[in-house]
Amino acid sequence: MTVAVQKKICMLGGFSVGKTSLVKRYVQSIFSETYLTTVGVKIDKKTVTMGDRTVHLILWDLAGEDDMSSLRMSYLRGSAGYVLVADGTRRATLDMALSLRQRVEAECGPLPFALLVNKHDLSDQWTVSDGDLEALRGSGWSVRPSSARTGEGVEEAFADLAARVAPP
Amino acid sequence: MDKLPAQVVDRLQAVTLADRAVAYLYVDDALVLIDAGGQLEAYGLGALRPGAPAIEQAVFLEGLLPLVETPYQLPAVEIAPGRVADLHFWTDEGGAWVVLLEVTSERDAVQRIQQKAYDMTLLQEREAALNRRLEAANAALLVAQRELEASRDALLRAHGELEVQSAELARWNKTLEERVAAQVGEIERMNRLKRFLAPSLAELIISTGDESILQSHRRDIAALFCDVRGFTAFAENAEPEEVVELLRDYHAALVPLIQSFEGTLDRFVGDGMMVIFNDPLPCPNPAERAVRLAVVMRDAVAALAVTWRKRGHQIGFGIGIAQGFATMGQIGFEGRFDYSAIGTVVNTAARLSDVASDGQILVTSRVATAVADFAELEDIGMLAIKGLSRPLAVSNVVALKDEPHQVIFFNRQTR
Repeated sequence: MTVAVQKKICMLGGFSVGKTSLVKRYVQSIFSETYLTTVGVKIDKKTVTMGDRTVHLILWDLAGEDDMSSLRMSYLRGSAGYVLVADGTRRATLDMALSLRQRVEAECGPLPFALLVNKHDLSDQWTVSDGDLEALRGSGWSVRPSSARTGEGVEEAFADLAARVAPP
Repeated sequence: MDKLPAQVVDRLQAVTLADRAVAYLYVDDALVLIDAGGQLEAYGLGALRPGAPAIEQAVFLEGLLPLVETPYQLPAVEIAPGRVADLHFWTDEGGAWVVLLEVTSERDAVQRIQQKAYDMTLLQEREAALNRRLEAANAALLVAQRELEASRDALLRAHGELEVQSAELARWNKTLEERVAAQVGEIERMNRLKRFLAPSLAELIISTGDESILQSHRRDIAALFCDVRGFTAFAENAEPEEVVELLRDYHAALVPLIQSFEGTLDRFVGDGMMVIFNDPLPCPNPAERAVRLAVVMRDAVAALAVTWRKRGHQIGFGIGIAQGFATMGQIGFEGRFDYSAIGTVVNTAARLSDVASDGQILVTSRVATAVADFAELEDIGMLAIKGLSRPLAVSNVVALKDEPHQVIFFNRQTR
């Protein structure tokens, strides 16, 4: 008999780091070059099968953080985990992601999360080094370079997180 | 706020809800959907079934129910593609109410403004990044330029040093050319002089640069004449090549000996030679030197004669030596000068050479007296010499008592 569970996952990060594109890549397997900023939140659903279990991931794609508007913590209510996203070509977005993690942990406690350093297809323009990623992994975090354009690291990151938010 | 009339409330409700999709859900404490209504289709919720679990049917409720805070609101939630609503939550005694009030237009308006702001920010970030890259490239260029300038300076310095060295080299070349020219001139002059003067005389003139020595002067000299006995007969019978070969051996053997004794080879004609001592190079004992030279010449020709005799040629060698004053100097005309001696002493030596038989070294009494201490002499007696009014006392040098000539000879070689 198949057991189905449903988990809320939030996408967090600075603006224009590729949160919406990562969700589109993961849910619809498509990528658009056009950048369209997210206001508020967009909700999507992705069903993952893990052995005899089905996990429905309810993905809350939150508006990007910037200097002017800060994250509404109310969106995070009831979240089982979250995905932190940074843009490898903009070093400041990694710092912002780390700052968000601290705020989420302060508000919601230690939730499972995955850190994706996105736009790895533009690695020649990256300002985040392999050493930076290694140092973050040293904290025991799940850290991956990813690309919504090519799909690199996307499936793996969500699958890992799904396994952690819905353990057998 | 004062209570509004029903007409105003109705109007406000009509205005607020115009062109907005409004829907509601009512969920009990067991999270079962009790009721739902309004424009559910607009949010993709048209298939909601009261009596079934609410959260499985309306997934956006995941994690939100039961409410921990009431009333509670979540703004601008895009539940279905292109449909954005503010979610309002509150509870009453029967359960939790959820109302969806559409704000798509407001969301789109905010999005347009925010999009422009973010585009601008991204543009500025890109510009800043570009500037940083440009500055880095510029810094690298500056470093490259400084290195280039340093290389250029080094090149200029090297060029300067090269020019100095070139100038120095040019000066050396000029000096060298001048020296070569001077030496070539000297060699040419020497060759010119040697062509018609004895080598020792030519070298003396070159080394002193003084040609006055060539001017006519009187000097007490010893004159040595020698020639080959039987040469005329040999020359008549032998092949010209043989004659030339004999003369070559003869000259090769004797000329170095003359030079080793510092004699001046005045001339040689065929098999005859005239050697002078004490002019132009002065020497303290001209007669002794002449006699010592004569003895080694005799020995040398004797050694050669052995070979010649084996070839069937009867060749001998005679020498005459005299001492006395002679007039020395250039004789001849421009382009063909000879430095020679004129006087009785020369004639006497020549005549003694003529009358000397093979192996004889005939000397005048003055010469005999000068060498008596170290030479073994044989008195020949009085000889009438052609060109002299009186007979002359003549001696033959048989041998040297001390054989010192060899010492002299080898000293010269090792000097």
